[in-house]
Amino acid sequence: MTDSEQPETETAVSQPQWPENGGQWSDEEGGAGMDECGLAEMAEEDEEIDIYNNETFGMEVGDTEGDPTNPLFKFGEKPPAPPALPSLSPSSPSFSPRARPQLRVQGPPGRRGRGQRGGQAMAQMFEDPAVVRTVEGRPSLQVITTLARSVVSKACREMLFSSYVGVSCNGDVLFTQVGGLPSPRPCPSTPQPLTPKMMQLRFGANSPRPSPFYSPSSNRVQRFRFPGPVTQLHPQHRRLLSQRQQRSQRKPDSWDPYCNLMSAKEKEWIIRLQMIQLQSENPHLDDYYYQEYYRRMEAKLAEEELGMRGKREPPKLTTPYVTKMDSYTPVVHIEGSLGQVAVSTCFSPRRAINAVAAHCPHELFMVLLEVEEGQRMKAQVLGEGEEKGLMEKTEIKVEYIYSQLQHPDLEAEEEFLPCLLVSKGKQLLARLLPFLSHDAALKVLSMVTSHLPVLMSRDADESLPVLYPSLRIVIGGMTFSQLIGVLKDFTTSLPDSSDGSVCLSLVCQSKFGLSLLYALLSQGERLLSSDVPLEPSIGDFETWTDTVFLVASQLSQSALVEPLLLPSNLLTLFCRYLDKRTIHQLKSNME
Amino acid sequence: MTIQHNTGTLPSQEKHLVLLRDGRTLIGFLRSIDQFANLVFHQTVERIHVGKKFGDIPRGIFIVRGENVVLLGEIDMDKPCDTVLQQVSIEEILEEQRLQQQAKQETEKAKVTALKDRGLSIPKADNLDEY
Repeated sequence: MTDSEQPETETAVSQPQWPENGGQWSDEEGGAGMDECGLAEMAEEDEEIDIYNNETFGMEVGDTEGDPTNPLFKFGEKPPAPPALPSLSPSSPSFSPRARPQLRVQGPPGRRGRGQRGGQAMAQMFEDPAVVRTVEGRPSLQVITTLARSVVSKACREMLFSSYVGVSCNGDVLFTQVGGLPSPRPCPSTPQPLTPKMMQLRFGANSPRPSPFYSPSSNRVQRFRFPGPVTQLHPQHRRLLSQRQQRSQRKPDSWDPYCNLMSAKEKEWIIRLQMIQLQSENPHLDDYYYQEYYRRMEAKLAEEELGMRGKREPPKLTTPYVTKMDSYTPVVHIEGSLGQVAVSTCFSPRRAINAVAAHCPHELFMVLLEVEEGQRMKAQVLGEGEEKGLMEKTEIKVEYIYSQLQHPDLEAEEEFLPCLLVSKGKQLLARLLPFLSHDAALKVLSMVTSHLPVLMSRDADESLPVLYPSLRIVIGGMTFSQLIGVLKDFTTSLPDSSDGSVCLSLVCQSKFGLSLLYALLSQGERLLSSDVPLEPSIGDFETWTDTVFLVASQLSQSALVEPLLLPSNLLTLFCRYLDKRTIHQLKSNME
Repeated sequence: MTIQHNTGTLPSQEKHLVLLRDGRTLIGFLRSIDQFANLVFHQTVERIHVGKKFGDIPRGIFIVRGENVVLLGEIDMDKPCDTVLQQVSIEEILEEQRLQQQAKQETEKAKVTALKDRGLSIPKADNLDEY
């Protein structure tokens, strides 16, 4: 037991009569180490609030008061505010002042490391008019959704960081994980003899507000980053809930004698708890499904409203989950891939498969996610110093991925090949390309084009097109000489065949290949017809013309598949070099 | 933070459906929860599905330990119930279930025997959850 517990125990033992001098008792306890106001004041205020609620809403809020052994809630903070101000927005101003005195309750921070942050959180909660005025949906639904979200989000975080969040208190159970995670850790402290009044004040709806990361009676606090404002629901989510609630309100009241087993306070307590658990510095990672779902809903709404009312932005979640953190996250150190397995055995084919995929391991995706996250964060306004730091980190990560994708022992031209043969590798590369430097990206592009036949033939699941958008952007930034270089690869990629048209004929059958070819030609045409000086090397123009002829003849002869994108300036290009007949044929083929 | 509020009566028309880790489906009125997702179900009914048939067994009050919950959802009683599922009596559905279990066990046994004959043994994926 810690120091803070001792005085409590003593006072409890010395003052067994509880209701009569309950106030006194609480004050003493307060003196011994609780916050300035003490539990008594809080209890009194709570009673006031209950009366207010009962009068206003005719609701039995104090149901749990009579039950001193409500073992549900075992944490040590005080609920600051009454629940339930449904659609009475005018009353919100009066709401806040009542809440405010209680915020002062949060004692000096050093004292117990308690949520002064929690206090801040609540301050922010109640000062935000939008929050107070929110009309909540049916309590059960909200509770469930927050439960679900926190559990999933928790699970994500657990998996990623394999650490526990939470605090044990008083020999009781951690509140965190739900699901198949190992058993909770009990505190090895002896349970103190708790008088009914103590229990009443500690547990139940009148219990001190939970500070999940702190226990009032134990100093075994586990440090946990407790960022600022409490998580808010996505506006769409809120709207949904309020709609449902309105709908249910219109239904005739069929009184259910059991419907108020949980008081509003209790529900609120649980929701608050779960919302706290939902806070994270990276909600897009930890709470992926929720964020993604509402992002898609937003996008869909935006599309619909685009037609209806011009461009009106659908309500987005404007406040970030967490205000920006100043903590420094070091570059994640990832254990390197396992290296190449020399022998693939029939008893462990999985190892062989992994070896191929090992060059594009799962962890690389994690690093990529971080890089993309960095990009997204850059879009927000950051301080200059931070931005530079972020850029550096991003660069390091990108380089890391790039280097991981390369084989040390393969020749220079074949570096990315194993990676590209796997569909996951293609996806990875496609997402990585925007972050690579121009030279590196060019290298990748030339790799792709020089090995195009192999890639096309081994593209069983048609995943090559995923590379197209990123490559197209790379092509768009190429100079004429670079373009010529790549085109040369294209048309002469089979050194053992007499003409390059074998490759071209293959290309005509592949969506990706054809689209790539079109993109390259289109870029060349764009460069030629623009005013930008080309700085070509010797022989470039000849190669260009030859290529165009070759391609045109091939395209006009063979049946073409539908490309991913047909650039508009291709026909103009061909018009300049070829006769009408060929052009006609080309045109009919290409469309 | 969104504020919980109550406008008098808690809507009681909503039943909830919970799927447990052992595969059972319970439907009832959710009366209470806690931070561990422990649930208190009232007037619970255990619904057994076999093929296109289902049967409801009334079970009374359930207290479910949170760690056993797979998913939980609300049932909208207002929505039109256009389902192809056919409700049958308890005895019938239990019988169907028994037959289903039996068939599964037999195929499993046959598989194991066949594998054994070939000198292979695949461990049973009994407790898939406990990885």
